[in-house]
Amino acid sequence: MSLGKLIERLIQLVPVLLGVSLIVFVMMTLTPGDPVQIMIGDQAVTPEQEAAMRRDLGLDRPIVERFFVFLGNAATGDFGTSFYHRRPVLEVIAERLPATIELSLVALIVALLTSIPLGVLAAIRKNSIFDRIATVGSLLGVSLPGFWFGILLLMLFAVHLHILPVSGRIGYSAEIEPITHLLLIDTLLRGRFDAFLDALSHIILPAITLGLPMTAILMRVTRTSMLEVMRQDYVTFAEAKGLSRRRVIFRHALKNALIPTVSVAAIETGSLLGGNMIVETVFGWPGLGRLVVESIFLRNYPLVQAAVLFYAVTYVLLNFVADILYTVLNPRVKL
Amino acid sequence: MTSITRALLASTAVFLVTAPVVPAADLTVGFTLDADTLDPANHRKRETETIIRNMYDGILTRDSNMKVVPEIAESMTQVSPTVYDFKIRSGIKFHDGSDLTAEDVKFTIDRITQEGAMGDGQTSPRQSLMGPVASAEVVDGDTVRITLKEPWPILPAMLPFQEVVSKAFVEKVGSAGLATMENGAGPFKLVEWRKGDAIIMERFDDYYGGAADIPPVGKACVDRVIFKIIPESASRVAALLAGDVDIINELPPFSVDQVKNNEGTDVMTVNGTRSFFIAMNMQGEYFDDPKVREAAAHAVDKDLIIDKILGGNAARIEGILSPDAFAASPDLTRYDYDPELSKKLLAEAGFPDGIEVTMDTEGAFKDTAEAIASLLTKGGIKTTVQVGEGAQLSDKWRTKGAPKSGDMYFTSWGNGSLDPYDIFTPTHKTNDRGNSAGYSNPEVDKLLDEAAVELDTAKRADMYHQAETIVNAELPYIYLWVPQDIYGVSKRLKGWKPSADSRINLHDACVE
Repeated sequence: MSLGKLIERLIQLVPVLLGVSLIVFVMMTLTPGDPVQIMIGDQAVTPEQEAAMRRDLGLDRPIVERFFVFLGNAATGDFGTSFYHRRPVLEVIAERLPATIELSLVALIVALLTSIPLGVLAAIRKNSIFDRIATVGSLLGVSLPGFWFGILLLMLFAVHLHILPVSGRIGYSAEIEPITHLLLIDTLLRGRFDAFLDALSHIILPAITLGLPMTAILMRVTRTSMLEVMRQDYVTFAEAKGLSRRRVIFRHALKNALIPTVSVAAIETGSLLGGNMIVETVFGWPGLGRLVVESIFLRNYPLVQAAVLFYAVTYVLLNFVADILYTVLNPRVKL
Repeated sequence: MTSITRALLASTAVFLVTAPVVPAADLTVGFTLDADTLDPANHRKRETETIIRNMYDGILTRDSNMKVVPEIAESMTQVSPTVYDFKIRSGIKFHDGSDLTAEDVKFTIDRITQEGAMGDGQTSPRQSLMGPVASAEVVDGDTVRITLKEPWPILPAMLPFQEVVSKAFVEKVGSAGLATMENGAGPFKLVEWRKGDAIIMERFDDYYGGAADIPPVGKACVDRVIFKIIPESASRVAALLAGDVDIINELPPFSVDQVKNNEGTDVMTVNGTRSFFIAMNMQGEYFDDPKVREAAAHAVDKDLIIDKILGGNAARIEGILSPDAFAASPDLTRYDYDPELSKKLLAEAGFPDGIEVTMDTEGAFKDTAEAIASLLTKGGIKTTVQVGEGAQLSDKWRTKGAPKSGDMYFTSWGNGSLDPYDIFTPTHKTNDRGNSAGYSNPEVDKLLDEAAVELDTAKRADMYHQAETIVNAELPYIYLWVPQDIYGVSKRLKGWKPSADSRINLHDACVE
């Protein structure tokens, strides 16, 4: 891929982001429910005090003006002040983001490490009992509600077997001076193996819950693609040469079979972000997803807008990465 | 299946290597929401206040029976209808070791009540909680005088909601600093705030002991207190059952039996401060007729719902006030369950075949609303439940006089001060902010206005009684119940009682 193409793709981001901003802005503002009323709740407030609150939050200005002010500020990296935290939105998001990134990465790793071997196994033992179980399992994996599955895991491993913690990211006694803000990495960098295991024990259940649908999808993709590749002439040829089956599968077939898996994985990584909202709520995981859900209910406009823009950018970039990976793995494809 | 096997293997591995290190005197609370900020003057949320309250003390506080008692103040004197004096105790220290003085108390009140006192032109969102406070001054060195613009008898009931900050500290770190740092005079000091995850506090050893009227007076019992944020109810219950936390708030009624039957955990309840009721749109098609409203009141079997859905954890009400509130009248007419009478009343009102209405409510109350709807339907009022979302329903119903669309609204109103002023007035005064029924009666308006500034307690109670009797007869609402706050607790926990104002005060709590 040429540099020109790369820049072209990046420029294409701009209208997407503008569109997303506009949609979020309009949707949030048109959703019934007034942030000032929510803040007031049942309490007594005079009309003057209410007007002052509205002015403080900038809600007294017309929506069109607010949109352009938002765009102008956003262009300079200023996403406004969170209504409830009364601090810059970016600061509040930055505090929550590392937990979400860490959880998504671990979920991705879990999904890749399990789906590929299972998919390959299902393909080379096509129609065996294992293949059938895997097929049914992957169907369940995509259709089980994450919420329900998470609670189930929680009841089993935390409440009954008592081997994993119920919620949170790390125990309270582990104080780790942050470096990357990803606890699994920071604990190792600080040489705190005990804290690493503590953090690991906290992330296992949420990562499995979050990664489950992705595992299921990737397994299906790997299986199908593997079956496809196994029918190709060069595989038959390799087998005819008398190479061992293991060698044929791993050296010749797998490399090509993984092309669709990798690009689907890149695209699906974006969907991990969506799943975070549920998983973080169930496991009390202190990430961005939960913050966004709370903020939507509270009509905390600035925070929701900034967070949705962040999701959009990530999603678009991941698709972009998927395209690049595809051309790298399969040189016949041109973007 | 495969994921479970994997999890089992991985977790067993983790279990074998990690030896759990649990310090003996940690008390962990599984709590629904994280604090928005640690600045006592810059929020409007009960949950935020509960967290802050364990690090900061107030001028006054409440005991577990909701009686207002001095805390940082040694005594309170009402000098005139609009002037209150608070003598500040000596020897109180902030967490940084500095002394708390009357200047700090004045500064705290100014910061909440004065325009723009938060800095950057911001006014405290808690200003309105302090009603007509005009000014605060220091007199005689250790006395703070609060002057009101007009008489406001509930000032003492509102002061426990405001926490005293250190003037020097606020001037040093600014309002922005106060959002994430603290320097209170409360029983615990902040160790670490892991946003969205946990707030970790440790005992403050120089604590003066808290309110003299709430024994035992002294330092906190436990070494550390951790508020662990677990928003999802099922997960919160799981954390309690697993022994990860010692107290959980908002235990769902359907989990009460599970927690009671579990070895090592128990349930504690306290009367709450939130009244539930159904607003009937008095400007609408049917409920403008008193006979129809009465029919509706007779069609709802409150006791049945309290018993079957709320697990018995609620107190029945015949008016807007909680039985524990000031001036709650015990002699109001009860509209007993009688669906046949409902049908008869409907026929008299000109609807022999009954009527068809919809009832709005929030998703969280859908089950209860549907139970009520089926009861109403039996009484001839065919009711469909329509679920909306809180903010949207407020827009639709709390219209402050603007026209309302809709028939019935199953909702609630909170009354943290347990004084009629902040529940009776907003829901019943003409065009007031919580008047979802669209009720209007000049006589009630007059009584409510006069009672709000009446200083003679007996007279004031009498005015509210009169108003209660009038609305009880006119029935703008079907008054339902005040649910209890339900907590799940570990049996390790001693010395803690839930408080009727929903705050979790951990000063006296111990764990074995």
